[in-house]
This record gives sequence, C-alpha cells and structure tokens, in this order.
Amino acid sequence: MQEVKPTTRREFLNVLLGASVAGWLASVVYPIVRYLKPLPQTGPTGPVRLTREEISKLEQNHFVIVPVSGQRVIVLESPARELLAFSAVCTHEGCTVTYEPRQSILWCPCHDGRFDLNGRVLSGPPPRPLPRFIASRQPDGGVIVSVERA
Amino acid sequence: MEHPRQADTVRGWLDRRYHINSLIEFLRHKEVPLGSHSMAWYFLGGATLFFFLIQVLTGALLLMYYQPGEATAYESIRFLTTKVPFGWLMRSMHSWSAHLMIVSLVLHMFSTMMLKAYRPPRELTWVTGYVLFALTLGFGFSGYLLPWNKLSYFATAVGTNLVKSVPLIGGWSLQVLRGGSDVTINTLYRFFAIHVVILPLSFVLLVSLHLLFVQRQGMAAPLGAKAAPRGMKFFPGFALRDVLLWLACLMVLLVLSVFLPYGPGIPGLDWELGQKADPFAPAYPGIKPEWYFLWEYQLLKEFPPRLFGMEGPQVCLLLITFLLCLWAIIPWLDRRAYRDQPSPGFSDFGWGAILFLTFLTLKAWDIGASGPPEAPGSVRGIAWTCAWWTLAAGAVIVAVRWLVYGDHWFFLSGAALLHIALHGLAGISYLVAGIFALVAAAIAMAAFYYSRRDPRSGTGGVA
Repeated sequence: MQEVKPTTRREFLNVLLGASVAGWLASVVYPIVRYLKPLPQTGPTGPVRLTREEISKLEQNHFVIVPVSGQRVIVLESPARELLAFSAVCTHEGCTVTYEPRQSILWCPCHDGRFDLNGRVLSGPPPRPLPRFIASRQPDGGVIVSVERA
Repeated sequence: MEHPRQADTVRGWLDRRYHINSLIEFLRHKEVPLGSHSMAWYFLGGATLFFFLIQVLTGALLLMYYQPGEATAYESIRFLTTKVPFGWLMRSMHSWSAHLMIVSLVLHMFSTMMLKAYRPPRELTWVTGYVLFALTLGFGFSGYLLPWNKLSYFATAVGTNLVKSVPLIGGWSLQVLRGGSDVTINTLYRFFAIHVVILPLSFVLLVSLHLLFVQRQGMAAPLGAKAAPRGMKFFPGFALRDVLLWLACLMVLLVLSVFLPYGPGIPGLDWELGQKADPFAPAYPGIKPEWYFLWEYQLLKEFPPRLFGMEGPQVCLLLITFLLCLWAIIPWLDRRAYRDQPSPGFSDFGWGAILFLTFLTLKAWDIGASGPPEAPGSVRGIAWTCAWWTLAAGAVIVAVRWLVYGDHWFFLSGAALLHIALHGLAGISYLVAGIFALVAAAIAMAAFYYSRRDPRSGTGGVA
C-alpha cells in the first residue's frame, strides 16, 4: 500500500496564498467587468405611432427609419401601396439598410446585400433574412409600428 | 569610475548620483551592424516612432477643442476646422501622420520579416512589434468615430459587429465595446477613452519594452553573417542619419497636410467631415473603412452567407484570426532562420501575403468599375482589372527575386497569383479559386521535395 505523504505547512500556506491571490484578482476584475457592461436600455417599448414628420418622409421617399422599442425599424410602402416593416439592421455586418423603390428591394450598400419585400436574402453575403415586423395604417391616416414578428 | 576632471562638472554631479558614465560608455560603443542589405531598413522603426510623437503632439492640441457628446462632437470638429486658426492644419497633420505611421509600420514589419530579423534571440522583439501594430490599428479604428459623422458611424457599426462572431464572449464583448447593443453616443464615449487614454498608455509601455529589447540585443545582423560584422557607430553616424530622416518625414507630412488637408479623396484615405451621424439614416453607397482595413472589408464580401454550417462572417473571422496568429508566431515556425540559414519559404510567404492583400485592397477600391460598382458587369470588370494589375506587380516581384536575388522558391506567391488569375480572369468564385490554388501549391511543393529527397536518409534536401 502506498504511503500517503502528509501535507507540509509550506504546501498548506502556498494553497492559502494562491487562493488569496485568486480572490484578490476576482475582487478587482469583477467590479470592472460589471462596470463595463452597459445598463439595460430604457425608453418606450411597445407599438409606436409615427410622427407627422416621419409620415411625410415615408410619403416622400417611400420609406422611413424609426426607433421602435430600442430597435432601428424601416417602414416602407410597397409598389402595391402595402405598408411593410423590417429590422433596418443588415444581418451581415449591422449596417442600416435602405429601400430601393425602383427595384422593390431592401439594399445594404455596405457589402451589397439585397433582400426582397418579404425580407428574404436575394443576393450578397447576408446570412439571414431581415426580421419582419408589423406596420398598419390607422383610419385617421396615422401609422402604427410594432416589433412583434409579422 | 569618475574622471578627476569631471568632479566639478554637471556630468560629474550626475554621475555621482545616477552613474551615467556607464550609460554614456554603452552608447559610445553602440554599433549598428552593416551587411549586404540596404541600411534603409534600419530607419523605419525610428520613422514610425517619429509619426507617433507627432500623433501625441497634435492629438493633445486637438483635445483642447474637441468635446465628445451627441450635440458637441461633430460641431466641435467643424468649429475647429473652420473657425480656429490653423485648426484645419492640426487635424490634417493628425490624420496624415496616422496614415504615414501605419505605412512606415507596415514597411518596418515586412522588412523585419524579409530580413529574418525575428530570429533568435529577437522573438519577443517581433511579438512586441506585432502587438504595437495591432494597437496602431486600434488607434486608427477608435479615432475614426470621434468626428461623429455618417461615414465614421457606419464604418464603426460594421467594424464592431465583427466582434459578435467571436465564440462564447462575442455578444458580451460587442455590448462592452459599443456601450449598448447598437452604435450610439455611448460608443463614442468609450472609443474616446480608448483612443486618448488606454491605447496611448499601452503603446508607450510596449514601445518602451520594444526599444529596451532593441537596445539590449542590438539591431539584427544580416542573416548568415559571422560574428562581429562591420558596424557603424550609433553616435553620431546613425543618430544623425535618423535625425535627417525625421526632418524629411516632417517635410513630407507638412506638404501633404497643407496641400491635401482632407486627404487625397480616395475611399479609405479621406477625412472630409461630411454630414453628422444619424443612426436613423440609411447607409449610402461608397462606405469604405480606412485603407488598411479594406482587405478585410473585401474578404467579408467574398464569403457566401453560410459555409461549413456557420455564418459566412464567422468563417471569415476565423480565417483572418488564423492568418494573424500565423503571422505572430513566425519566429517559432521558421526553423531554418533559427539555425541562421536562409529560409526562402518564409520570404515567399511574405510576398504571397503582400499579393493577397494588394488584390483585395484594389478590389475594395472598385478599380476597373464601369458604372455603379455593385452592378453585375462592374463586379466582373473590377475583378478582371484588379487581377491584371496584381498579376503584373507579381510578375515584376518574381522576376526581381529570381534574376537579382537568385530566389527559386515561389510556391506560395505562385499560389497567390494562381488564386488571383483563377478568380479575376477565369471568373471562378474567390473561395473556390483559393482552395484550388492552395491544393495546387501543396501538390507542387510535395513533388518538389520528393524529387529533391536524399534516397539514403529519405529526407528532403532543400527547404
């Protein structure tokens, strides 16, 4: 039977010292890591009613980009005069997409990613479709956008 | 030991307290080794340091007017360049010296690579230089956002988004870097702190270490030189030449800053203030990062949406990380240089890297576009034109290396040229062409070593 070597006082103190150093490091690193992590975004959530200025932009350019629940959302009017809403953040590298009414596509000029009016990738490097949201026109002419998936 | 005549001099006073005579003796005997290669390569590190000092000086002056903030960042830069006397010159010098610093740093790195100055005992000098290069790119990236204009906004959105692809900690790192999930004014605050405090402190510490290594070990002697090659006294011969080069650098910087205060207008080398950043404006055509990031920008475009079950950008980032890691550990990979023997394979790797970067950069510049760069006809024309330019440059490089320097090892630069030709001229997709070129290079190398093997030992005779 193998003899068990007793722990020496020096080995015990080394373990204690190592644990103290690890504890000290953790007490320094943890507050820094927590400090650097941004706070949760605050602001209005839920459906958003476009302002008069935003509606005017929509009518003029056939699209407008608005903040909804902390996200960039592109609201556009299709050639069939249907209101559509998508995430404006390109799924490739996060540029803001634009609407090309003549080609009826959503286009990201940064790396030439193209999406159809269902958000599906037509060409270019984007790996995923654009999330589609809900946009509806109200009887009074206003437009309501929400980031619920359509 | 203090000389009796020095007892009452300032030098004697200092020596009694700080023993400076030993330092002076060290500097008096310090020599720069001379060899078959041009001495010009030894001055590039000094030129880089000079441009860094200009960065610190002009950066400090810009700080006296710059105000980070949503309503102030863009406005303070506009005020600085339009109202403050010589404000435009300070900003121009800061921008130009940043670009020139990267140019001299790239040349310094490639010359170190080609001359195999990284070989033992200078591995850590290479590593510290490599990290300094990364910090310099960090300076460029973080400083780009500070004017808070449209171009910088989208360039930062794309650049920071790459972090998301890092496994496990990508999402968290992106949040920390941006100060939120999106690029906002919080991102500007963070980049400001990184640009003016964190990076300069890290750079100064690391450059001190880099210079300490160079001082302790001296400059690398030419490869294969026997002990004690010819040398030039550092003081005054080399130091005076260094000062002369710094003066020339200052002249070049001033001429560029005065006559091209907003850059030459080439994408990636243009710092017109333009319009203020608007997170709710769409991106616009022609958004490009700085010229030294253009190859990454183009490589991202070349990857398909999905590859090997992963997203294209993730695979692209993996490839870039692999190549950068390979570059960092070259001193340990190059076993022939370790034995003080020529290592043509690694020189060829350097030339292959240059051709790879050149082609991607030219493509990102849309050279050869006829009409909008994104039109299918233009995409083909760009690849065709850039391929011809890079192949021509490659042919000149190969000819000079073969005829002037007697090199016979062209497998990797040949693979890079084959890759470019297959993609640009034959129209094969960039990745398929790359795989084909690598396989061809591997077969050619295997055949070469097999034909040169020593039949008695069964080992290759040439490396």
